[in-house]
Formats: sequence, structure tokens, C-alpha cells
Amino acid sequence: MRELSVIEAIREALGEEMARDERVMLLGEDIGKLGGVFRATEGLFDRFGPERVVDMPMAETVIAGVTVGLAMRGLRPVAEIQFADFIHASMDHLVGEAAKIRWRTGGDWTCPMVLRTAYGGGFRGGPYHSQSVEAYYAHAPGLKVVAPSTPADAKGLLLAAIRDPDPVLVLEHKRTYRTIRGHVPEGDVVVPIGRAAIAREGRDATVLAYGMMLHESLAAAETLAAEGIDVEVVDLRTLLPLDRETILASLAKTRRLCVVHEDTVTMGLGAELCTLAAEADVLDVPPVRVAMPDVPGIPVDDNLEDAVLPNRATIREALVRLVTREVARGRGEARAYDAAIPQASSIVQVALPVEHTRLVLDAIATAARAVPKCNATFSWAGIVEHEDVVVDLDLGPSSPAAGRGTITLVDYGADGSDLAIPFVRPGQTAAVRIGAVRDGRAYVACAVDHRAVDGADAGRFLAAFKRTAERSLADVDSAGGDVRQLAPY
Amino acid sequence: MWRLARAGRAHFAVPCSGHEAVGAGYALALQAGVDWVSPHYRDLAALLVLGMEPRDVMLCFFSRPSDPNARGRQPYAHFGSRRLHVLSQQGPQPNHCSHGVGCAWGSKLLGDGSVSVIAFGDGGAQKGEVHESMNVAAIHRLPCIFVVHRNGWTQSVKRADQYATETLVARAAGYGIPGIAVDGSDVEAMYAAVAEAADRARAGDGPTLIDADCVRFLPNTSNDDDSRYRDRGELEALRATRDPLLRARALVDGALAGAIDADNERVAADAAEWAEAQPLGDPSTVLEHAYA
Repeated sequence: MRELSVIEAIREALGEEMARDERVMLLGEDIGKLGGVFRATEGLFDRFGPERVVDMPMAETVIAGVTVGLAMRGLRPVAEIQFADFIHASMDHLVGEAAKIRWRTGGDWTCPMVLRTAYGGGFRGGPYHSQSVEAYYAHAPGLKVVAPSTPADAKGLLLAAIRDPDPVLVLEHKRTYRTIRGHVPEGDVVVPIGRAAIAREGRDATVLAYGMMLHESLAAAETLAAEGIDVEVVDLRTLLPLDRETILASLAKTRRLCVVHEDTVTMGLGAELCTLAAEADVLDVPPVRVAMPDVPGIPVDDNLEDAVLPNRATIREALVRLVTREVARGRGEARAYDAAIPQASSIVQVALPVEHTRLVLDAIATAARAVPKCNATFSWAGIVEHEDVVVDLDLGPSSPAAGRGTITLVDYGADGSDLAIPFVRPGQTAAVRIGAVRDGRAYVACAVDHRAVDGADAGRFLAAFKRTAERSLADVDSAGGDVRQLAPY
Repeated sequence: MWRLARAGRAHFAVPCSGHEAVGAGYALALQAGVDWVSPHYRDLAALLVLGMEPRDVMLCFFSRPSDPNARGRQPYAHFGSRRLHVLSQQGPQPNHCSHGVGCAWGSKLLGDGSVSVIAFGDGGAQKGEVHESMNVAAIHRLPCIFVVHRNGWTQSVKRADQYATETLVARAAGYGIPGIAVDGSDVEAMYAAVAEAADRARAGDGPTLIDADCVRFLPNTSNDDDSRYRDRGELEALRATRDPLLRARALVDGALAGAIDADNERVAADAAEWAEAQPLGDPSTVLEHAYA
């Protein structure tokens, strides 16, 4: 399988499309002999000549304006605006003209043009070489806006854009140009406009992202996978029109939404995406947005730019916040709470079958791996997190805990009380107690040694426990297994 | 149209009194259906010469969905017809300038020998759009003709507050293209200037700027009250020498002119009555044609 960078994929798409369709021509600043400042058009001037690869004056209004006219006349112009930061001089022609021409003439005139531009920060370009501009243009019905993130999509969506009967704005994240490489199928493989892609499957939360933030989100998701949090990442690919079907299908599955974009937060695409989810009523907890704060520009100073751009660490933090966010009352699940009793503890209600020991042990193991502080030994010299999880079982007076292991499970079965707090045993930092199962549910308490573990970690431990236990239960259910003793909920 | 708009029977009228010879002159110099036009919004005369039916003009005036120009979606004077090679026109002036340049560029690339007229007012000519467009047309020697309706008013703002020169023809030299100053109330002079420019364009010798001096005898639009900013009496005094219709009448036999007038009255009245009776839009169609 051959691999290309994003910029190579774009160059290949332009060259192939110019060879295939002689109506295709390119216009922009420095795109001729220089091959564009990012080299998207490198070699095309020599190959197709100055009539089809045209260096334009440094005047973004007329670049967009003549592109509109060429498209109305029946050509297939592809204009390049060198940096998205300069595109606003083209806005009148994009939003006021191109987007409206078909509509305002009832289809008599059309404007099949493409405008490509490089957007995004992350390499010290400062406020005028780093902006994200998608929100302005995704607000213009009649326009289509695509934002590929991978080499295959960069090529396939550009081919689709050039062949599209309507105007298409192609937003290329300049940091992907050379850092992102990937397989690009040989030949004429078009990626349809208006379809998102599942970049990573997961069940605990959905990330909606595009551009460089897609790759940061994928990196965050990989980190979280090792912690037992399974994140789905949707690559939006087209920002206008949105692929509502794919977005809502993912959210119906995960019921938790995190939108990530590099653009500033207020009135950014996240506002629309969160509203889309809210209106469809597919979320169990409020969504989170990871976006740039409302700074007027992206600063050039290393520390300042790093402080405003989202990255895999800030995305990871947001996702942990999202997946540990408890479901509000009235959503069909009980609300858990932190109780400030001497050994800090938390309680959560979990759907469990009456026979559940195996399932609970697995869930404890997963949760302990996700929150290793709960599987540790405290001493004043330091906290030692154990590599293995050894569960000490306390099954009642006839089978008390042996006092060994790295974490204790207290479970007195159907005869036990609904709710009680277990002791944390010496040498351990956490203990878990399963209450009696009533109507397919039980209260699960986690007590922790507060010197080693804080309440938030106990909460994360229980959240991971609940997620794992209920998922295992659902798997058994859907597999038609024999654990199906629950009242439906 | 003026009276109908003022009577509230249509939303909007754009008078072209004083501008008729500019539009008619350039349209007569073009090959209808071959050449391309990005008209000024005062170019009703050009549209009629190019072949737009009076009834279609009135559908546009009454903003009916059956209007072939704008389908009830744009107000009057936003002309456009692919059949007649008239590019769809927009509100912000004069964005169609670069569209016309793109169209002319298409003619050059397709090698079909057609030329484009791009018409706009002297108010519009102050926008960077026009500078950028003329520059690009000059660089690539595109087959187009820029026609400025220079009436000295930008809605209510007089010439001296819009530009510091008396005329605009000298701007052509700044782009290295020929400029022609014309009496825009003289249809024969307009015709001759555009014919010369079109020949040059067809020969591959690039664009021409035509500065057409004319008088806007009426307010800017039906929403304007020009008595607030100019002396109507002085304007009317110019009628004798600068009204293109009066000057054109002098070119033909008086009886013939009278017959033409009578015929036009009848055609216009019929078209208006017919168009006003056409149905308004169906709300369920408002989203149609947003995309293909």
C-alpha cells in the first residue's frame, strides 16, 4: 500500500483532475513557478502551462470574484487562498454570491467552483497565519464546506469538490500537510461530500472532530483506551452540510458528546453540534466542548500559542470529565454521590444480576487498572501502585477476608443489607462493597484511604466499574446468555 | 413601473431615465446570444435590446416566482438570464464586475470569440472590486468592456464626495488599457464606442474602459427622495439636451416616433397587467435550488 502525505494527495488530485477535465484550471497567489507556498501545485505549472495554472495578483477579492465568473461561464476553476486568514476579503463573493447564485436564479445559473485554503495553527504563525475560519462559512447555506484530515480524504474530497455542481470551500489544515501520512488508493477514488467517517469505534463517548484536532482526538482516545475508557472518534469531513445521520447514530450508541475544534469556542461549530445532539435528545449527560478560548488571535509566542490550542492532553481531560459525569435524575438511572465519611467513599447504583461474582471481579480488575491509585499500598514513604490486581473476597461470616490481596470485595449476597460502607484494609487503598440486588440493581460502595486516594479518583473507579459491569451484562444479554434474570430497565 | 411602485403595487422600482442610451447603445453593439453582459441595475434598455420579453421584465418587477431573472427571490432590477447571456446580478455593487471578468476569461480560454460588457455606476467604480477586476482583465488582455454609467450621484452623495476627478476615463491609463469618454445620452456615440471596443476585444487586444457621461433624472430608486439632496428644477432643465429618448426621437421621423411610443405604451400596460395577475410563490418551494 502506498502512503502519501496530505499535501501530496492534494497535488495528485489537482493533477489528475486537470488531466481528466480540461475545464479545470487553478488560480491563486504564487501557485505557478513557486508551486504555492505549501507546494500544493508543485509541478502543475510546468505540466499544464500558464493558461491553466495562473498566478494571480495579491487581491483575494478578485481571486474569488473571477472564480465565480469562470464557474458561471462553465469552467471548473479551483482557486487557492494562500492562508485562510486572508479569505475574508473573498467572503462577499463566497457568501454573498457563490452560495446564492443557484438559489437566486431558481437554478438558471450555477457556480461550480472550488476554493481551497490552508487554515489552522500550531506552528507559530501568529494571528494572521493560523486562524480557523470554518464557522463563518459553515453558516452560509448554498455553500459546501469540507475539512479533510487524512491523505485519502484530502484527495477524495477534493475530487468530489471539483466535480460538485455547487461551490465548495475546501479547508486544509496546514499542520496535516506534511505530518499526516497515510494510504491513498490509486486512481479515481472520490469521497462523497456530506458523509462523516468513524475514525475510531468506541462505546463510552463520541468525539466529533476534524482537521488536526481529529488526530489529537485519536491520540487522546488511545491513551484513554489503556485506562479502560473506550472513545468513538467521528471524523466530520464535511462541515456543511453536516452528516446528521452518522453523528446521531454514534451519539445514540455512546450518549455522551465531546466536540473538539481549534476554532474559538463561542459560536463555533461546537455550538451547532451540541444543539443538534440536544434537539435529538440523545445525550445522557451535558456535552463538553474542547476549543480555543475566545482570543482575538492566535499568539505567536510558543507558550502562549500552546496555551490556547487544544491538544491531546486537554482532550483527554475533557473526556475523563465527560465519561465520569453522572447521569442526572430522571434519565432512568440513579444519581450517585460522594459521601464525606471518614474513609472517603462513593456510592453508585449498578445494574447487576443476582449471580454476579465473576462479572464484578472482572469489573473491579478493569476499574483498578483505570485508576491504579485504588489498587495500591499507602505508606508515609510513598504510595506503591500494584501491577497485578488481587481481590480479597469477604463473602460474609462463613468466608471472611483473608487480609491479603491488593483490594477487597465485600459481598454478603442476597442476605446483605442494601447499603453499607466497607472498611479499607491495612496495606490496601480501596474496598468495594456490593449491596443486595433488588430489581436487578445494587448499590455499590467504594471506600478509599483518603491519604492515598481522593474522592474524585474513587468516583472514577466506580464509574469505570459501573461501565464495565453493565457492558458485560449487556453483552451477555444480547448474546442470549443465561444471566438474564433482570427486570427490564 | 415608477408609478406602480409608488402606488404600492410592487416592492421596488429602479428608474433608468437618462441612462437608456448607455444600455441600448452597448447592447446594440453586441451579438445577442453570443456575447455576454453583466449589466448595471439601470440597464433595462440593454435587457430589452438583448431580447428580454416585456412580460418577463414585469414578472421581475412584480417579483413573481415565474420571473426568469430572479424567481421571486430577488427584487426588481437584479437581472439574469442564461439564455440571453446575462449574468445573474446581485445586491452589493458592483460585485458582478469580477464575475464579468471571469466570464470574459472563459471566453478567452474557450476561444469562442465572444466578448463581455461589464456595466456599473460611478459610485460602484469607487470600490476596490472594480480596481482589482480591471487590473486582472488588463493583465490577461481579456475580451471585456467596462462601461461606467457616470451620472455623478451615488444615491444621495455627489460626485465630489465620491472621487476627486471630474471623469473616470483617465483611470484606464493606470491599467494600461484604452479609455473612451462618451456622451452617454447619445445612443449612436455609445454604439460606436462599444463597437470599437468589442472589435479590439475580439482581436485579442484586451479590455477597454468606457466612461459614459449621463444624467440620472429620477431618484435612485422608488425608496429614495432626491429632493432632500438635489435641485429637481436644475435636473429638469437638462432634459432638453441630455434626455436620451428626446435625442433619439430627433433621429427619426416624428410620426414614426409617435407610433413607437404608442406601441410601447400598449405593450408595457399589457405586460404589467398580465404579470401582476400571475400567482405569488408557494412557501413550500422556498428551500428549492439551495443546492443542485
